[in-house]
Amino acid sequence: MTNFLDRFSLQFSGDLTIPWFSPTTQRVHGNRQLNHACVQELIDRQLPEGGWPFTSDTAQSAVEPTALALLALPPNSVGKRDAAIRFLLHMQNANGSWSAFSGDEEEGSGLTGLALFVLNRCGAQTMVSNRAVHWLIEARGRESHWLWRWKFRTSDRQVRFDPDKFGWPWMPGTVSWVVPTAYSLLALKQVRDISQQHLVRHRIRRGVEMLYDRICPQGGWNAGNGVVYGFPLAPHPDATALALLSLLNEPPNDFLTASLAWLERRAETCFAPWSLAWAVLALDAFGRPTELLTDRLSSVVDPAEIKDCATLAAASLAFGCAAGSNAFRVAHET
Amino acid sequence: MTASLSLAAGASTTALLNRSKYHVTRRLPRSRVAILGAESYSHNLENILHAGLKLFRLDVRGKTVLLKPNLVDYIPGNHINTHPFLVSATAECFRRFGAKSVLIGEGPGHQRDTVLVLLESGFTEELRQLKVPFVDLNRDALVMTPLLAAYMGMKHVWLPRTVLEADFVVSMPKVKTHHWSGVTLSMKNMFGVVPGAKYGWPKNILHWKGIQESILDICATVPVHFVIADAIVAMEGNGPLNGKPRPLNRILLADDPVAADATCARLMGLDPARITHIRIGAQFLGNLSIERIDQVAEALCAPDNPFEVVPEFRHLRLTGLARRDP
Repeated sequence: MTNFLDRFSLQFSGDLTIPWFSPTTQRVHGNRQLNHACVQELIDRQLPEGGWPFTSDTAQSAVEPTALALLALPPNSVGKRDAAIRFLLHMQNANGSWSAFSGDEEEGSGLTGLALFVLNRCGAQTMVSNRAVHWLIEARGRESHWLWRWKFRTSDRQVRFDPDKFGWPWMPGTVSWVVPTAYSLLALKQVRDISQQHLVRHRIRRGVEMLYDRICPQGGWNAGNGVVYGFPLAPHPDATALALLSLLNEPPNDFLTASLAWLERRAETCFAPWSLAWAVLALDAFGRPTELLTDRLSSVVDPAEIKDCATLAAASLAFGCAAGSNAFRVAHET
Repeated sequence: MTASLSLAAGASTTALLNRSKYHVTRRLPRSRVAILGAESYSHNLENILHAGLKLFRLDVRGKTVLLKPNLVDYIPGNHINTHPFLVSATAECFRRFGAKSVLIGEGPGHQRDTVLVLLESGFTEELRQLKVPFVDLNRDALVMTPLLAAYMGMKHVWLPRTVLEADFVVSMPKVKTHHWSGVTLSMKNMFGVVPGAKYGWPKNILHWKGIQESILDICATVPVHFVIADAIVAMEGNGPLNGKPRPLNRILLADDPVAADATCARLMGLDPARITHIRIGAQFLGNLSIERIDQVAEALCAPDNPFEVVPEFRHLRLTGLARRDP
């Protein structure tokens, strides 16, 4: 029988299991260790300007990995967090929007909502909020223009959606898509003390309606609409999870129920870290059990092997759920 | 822009497209195409491919070769993507021919989770065995690049560094019909080099600028040096995602993307001269005319039943005499 010191030395040998703890405790401990490794890897990859690149072998800072990494950093990483916040503030365009990456054109992107949401969560929204909110209120999918509403109602019936219900595009001049709409809703639903609050509420309603309008027939969301040429499109796990997170405080309805059920079923056979992490975040936010999914995530995440910085950050955020901290659920409770 | 809108624009759009707007000419005096029989997806593909590639006497020694398969999304049972066995066989062949390095790169146009598509379509396992690096072109370092044609009205496009630095780009399409562009072959496959990180999922700006126009501008700017098309099991009907499988039991090799796509269209029983990007591409990117294409392997023959297409593209189908003598 091993004595305490032997057991103690086992911890320091790199073995993440602690044999005398209960399975639940071991699981939490293991996930915490893995989360720590993810965060350390993120810290190592932060670029001198404060942002994160898309992948570890590139050096071009980008908004999505930076925003998610910032959200994943623990509060005690003060210097790293401050640098990331400074980078995001620096990246805001004159029109209030955010571009997708360093050097990108300054017309704005579908990641504006994510940047605002994260800065808000980090308490750094005051300097940027008004301009960003104004941009988000004005930005809309191209289908909202009267000419295209008319076209989609009369001549172009193959893509089945209601153009009166519009969200946000990836790029100005294009139609609404699920992910930028979800990011924008997350941001606008956090907005407080803004003079244009009634416009914010109106814009949130249109965005929520758009998500319900584009839902796949079986529940869940594809990239955009749910039916093309009479064919139902298959939902995507990450788009579904993000849409659900953005609808977290909406009244319960059949759309949400079907989408949660679909996501739970789909996640059972998913081994891709990005999709799995978002599934954990969404299901946890809705109070569904995620222990098995988190275990699966821990089995497929090797922080050093995941080149994609946004995926690493999303995995870290998902592991945070096991410790009772869901960055997306908290946001809706404030 | 949708197919119906393209049609509604009618003659004026065609006239605009027909005006030459390219700043580069890559059309060869003659092009070479090899149609190879391949009954199924198996590891025997490497032998078939190796024999076929030798017909072209390619010199890739010391070059960085980028294989660009078509990976859009994964739907169980649907033949959406270029088969991983064909891609791994191709990688092995180019290694044997002395390439300095072989990379596989793609930026799926629909599914944001590239790893999910790779895992579920069987690529991850093939790549692991082969030890060939995969580059997610949606999230590569991006370089602002002037366009070498001006059909869609943009002056430049952001492109992945990996694509720009490759010495030899091989477009590896799945042979499919497409509900917005008629077909998706080697030229349309190059949409995958346009990064989602900038242009979104899908790359919707290209639809609004005109799919046919975008294909021309991208293919003018990113040279396709060679084509290996997966027509072992093709797709007809409501492609690129929800069409029906259509076995052709063929692989097509070509040193010219226009010749490749024209030949694929003929194999599908479609008239390439009615597909806008192939017809306009024949002015500066390659050869459409049968007289300028040497078939160096099997003879070209059109199917008895042309591929099914969505109603907007019925006019592409070859019928009667035209089908018998493509």
